[in-house]
Amino acid sequence: MKHVAQHKDNTQSILEYGDYTFLYLSNLSLVQIEEVQFHSAVIIESKNLDYVRLLVSSIRSSQSPDIYLKPIVLLKREPVDIPVIDELADGSIRNLDELKTVAQITERISNRVHDLTFTNSISFEAEMITKLISLLYTKEQKTIDPVPYVYSNINYYYPLLSVNFNRTEEHSALSVLQIAEDEGILRSEYYDRVYLCSSCSSAHLSYREVCPKCSSSNTTPDDIIHHFPCGYVGPMKDYKNQIDDKLDCPKCNKRLRHIGVDYDKPSVIYECNHCAHKFQDYYVNAKCLSCASDKAVDQLKSIEIRSYRLTKKGELAAVKGFVTTTKDIDETVGTIKYDTFKTMLKYEIERLKQSQGESNLCAINISNSSQVYSKLGSELQKSLLKDLVSVIRSNIRSSDVIAFESSSTIVVSMNDLPQRIAKKITVEMVHILEDLIKAGFEDLDVIFETRIVQLDHSKTHEAHLKELLADLS
Amino acid sequence: MEDLLDNYIRFLATLTPAYFVELFWFYFVFEFIRYFLLEFIVLNLAKIKAWVDRPKRADARRRLFMENPLVSILIPGKNEGKHLYKLVTSLGEQTYKNIEIIVVDDGSDDDTPIIGRSLERAGLIHLFLRNEVRGGKASAANLALRFAKGKYIIHLDADCSYDNDAMEKILIPFFMDERVGGVGGNVSVRNYNESLVTTLQGIEYFNTITTGRVVTSYLGIYRIISGAFGAFRADVINELKGWDIGPGLDGDITVKIRKKGYKVRFAQDANCLTSVPNTFKKLVKQRLRWDKSLVRFRMRKHKDVLFPTQSFRLLDFFAAFENILYNVILNFKWYVYLGIMLTFYRPLFLNIFITNVLLYTTTNFVKYIVYSLYREKAHVSMSYFLPYIPCMVLYFGMYLRVVRTIAYMQEIFFKKSYSDPWNPSKTSVHAKHLGL
Repeated sequence: MKHVAQHKDNTQSILEYGDYTFLYLSNLSLVQIEEVQFHSAVIIESKNLDYVRLLVSSIRSSQSPDIYLKPIVLLKREPVDIPVIDELADGSIRNLDELKTVAQITERISNRVHDLTFTNSISFEAEMITKLISLLYTKEQKTIDPVPYVYSNINYYYPLLSVNFNRTEEHSALSVLQIAEDEGILRSEYYDRVYLCSSCSSAHLSYREVCPKCSSSNTTPDDIIHHFPCGYVGPMKDYKNQIDDKLDCPKCNKRLRHIGVDYDKPSVIYECNHCAHKFQDYYVNAKCLSCASDKAVDQLKSIEIRSYRLTKKGELAAVKGFVTTTKDIDETVGTIKYDTFKTMLKYEIERLKQSQGESNLCAINISNSSQVYSKLGSELQKSLLKDLVSVIRSNIRSSDVIAFESSSTIVVSMNDLPQRIAKKITVEMVHILEDLIKAGFEDLDVIFETRIVQLDHSKTHEAHLKELLADLS
Repeated sequence: MEDLLDNYIRFLATLTPAYFVELFWFYFVFEFIRYFLLEFIVLNLAKIKAWVDRPKRADARRRLFMENPLVSILIPGKNEGKHLYKLVTSLGEQTYKNIEIIVVDDGSDDDTPIIGRSLERAGLIHLFLRNEVRGGKASAANLALRFAKGKYIIHLDADCSYDNDAMEKILIPFFMDERVGGVGGNVSVRNYNESLVTTLQGIEYFNTITTGRVVTSYLGIYRIISGAFGAFRADVINELKGWDIGPGLDGDITVKIRKKGYKVRFAQDANCLTSVPNTFKKLVKQRLRWDKSLVRFRMRKHKDVLFPTQSFRLLDFFAAFENILYNVILNFKWYVYLGIMLTFYRPLFLNIFITNVLLYTTTNFVKYIVYSLYREKAHVSMSYFLPYIPCMVLYFGMYLRVVRTIAYMQEIFFKKSYSDPWNPSKTSVHAKHLGL
């Protein structure tokens, strides 16, 4: 079934197998990464490792799912392990006679890709998480283990994620993973700890013992000698005899003969050859090999490296196609953080114990948020949320506060207001919001659902929120 | 009791001046003349000299601050970490500022290294040196000295505290006389009210030690620059290559400075407070050590000052001679006196004993009150000690005398100071072998 359909040059050709076409790239082929999307898979000959690394990284770091999800198969003439690259690729073959294997891999991955829904996420972090879970899903992989990697700026590489970052920003992969864990998409366990430069977050550090005064590493140690008979104590150089290289006491002129009997070496002293400072307790400094800053080790950033596992929620998010993070909604102008909202609610309940007022808690939920957001680009999503907040803000009193419980649910405090009035205001707000969406976003059906809960000072703030948000998607 | 009193009154009535001297010659010849009359006269002379020297002293102070030499403060010790923070912060309060603090940890097995290193990192200690293996006080002080950069060296004990002008005051004598090689500070008792034994030591430090040092310093025979607070010219102490093995290294270094031809002074106004042993048992241990070193250093190591050798100096001879005479010889002479009284005056012994107690107690009261006029300033009310003065006869005349006797015997016959755990045996064995 195999035949070479087309030779582009000596190092690049297109292979066909059944309905599939494979882009075969061998040593140093000049290729436009966009071309990958027009083929079923890519076969890369792993002869020049730097070239393979560049090519595989370019494919996996693309922003387009048609490229980054493309099956990559390595042609390994020798059975060797290639760290990171093996993780990024989907399999390997020994020679081009094994195209059947490539076809099987391609078929399996393509089937998984069909399950995925691609939507735009609001933030870069959400974008990265979407990409990561999509890759994990297609590769049928559930774990993201850090790989010790010499080319990594932070010494550990999460192949499917770190590949998206250039070397100097590789540490950002850690914050993306943290956000994914906070959102319940991943769970993690401790793997190792790394120390990063506090200036540039590089882990490529050179540790040296330095003078505590001038931080020079140019120091010379010398043994301290205690001569028992006369009690003289000083560095070994004090005792050195220029004539016969033996040790003589500078105080009593006796020759030192037997360690432990007439003398001992109770300590060591360092002398700085730069500033002549003498010290016993040298400092340990770390020189960053990336940005050349030289700092005490206690100023380094201590970072935990964790291994991650995809949760059920993560798997569903890959298929459902929409990922959002609290980072996206926390930044919406006019709102406060949900945690702050909860604290304020707690105080309001406390206040109600003292007064006879009537306060309410309101929730406005977009029931079909998944559909709505997948139709919008990230900028439009942000714009929609901003408009929603703006409308709510103009309909409530300035002393009331708004927060996002999730990307689809907004909670509003309505203090010192009868529940009847609060309900009326909420209904009015929803009408205005629907009108606004009709005017601003064509063909977009947004379904709002509202809830009002009157505050009861005998119940906790958590209980109120539970009641308010129950069954809201 | 009435019989006893009648008997005693009859005894007093029989006392003619000649008979008084016959019975109480020991008190009269040695105690009264040396420890009261002579001291009183010299105290007055010293006071007059201090008054006359006022302009010279003011000039010396001015020159000290003008020259502003670096002064290295050496604090050697083992397991002294708990005192360090308080000490270094109090040194920061000193009126004399140009100091470097060098702490040597002599093989501590507590948190001293952690405390020392953190104080060094915080800049409160200029240099913290640690010997992993204990080498003894002399070796720790010598290590600090080796890395000291100051023109003057001040040796402190970590558990002492100092008046905020103490460093300034101890340095002034160097600027009053360029032949001064070492100056001793005035050590008083901080925990005087902790127990009876510390109160009695409080009186002793003031009435005997401080006054004795004022007197000997005036006479040019001052013998011990206290290890708790002593200042030295760096060139002098470097010439001597530091301290020799103790115990008693502070007295030893003072003699060595004197033997080099330098003067040694006592700075009464450079005040230091120390914590003294708070039980009689602990005090016995301390005094046995002190008293043994008198025999070891004055009568053995530095016996050359007593003989007309090439380096013979009259003042050195007198300093050693007076020390040996009053502390060792008269200590034994007291037993002779006791023997004579018990042998030849047995029927009168009780009356003689009572009279001696009364004589000593009266002298102690008079001394205490009169000497208070010569005291620069006090950290405690003078009246606090008055009720305890009668105890001094037993404390000083009996208790310390017995301790002294035991110490002298142990050292003279058994050289016990060389096996004192105060010093590691690895060094003492060499000191004993070399007669150091």
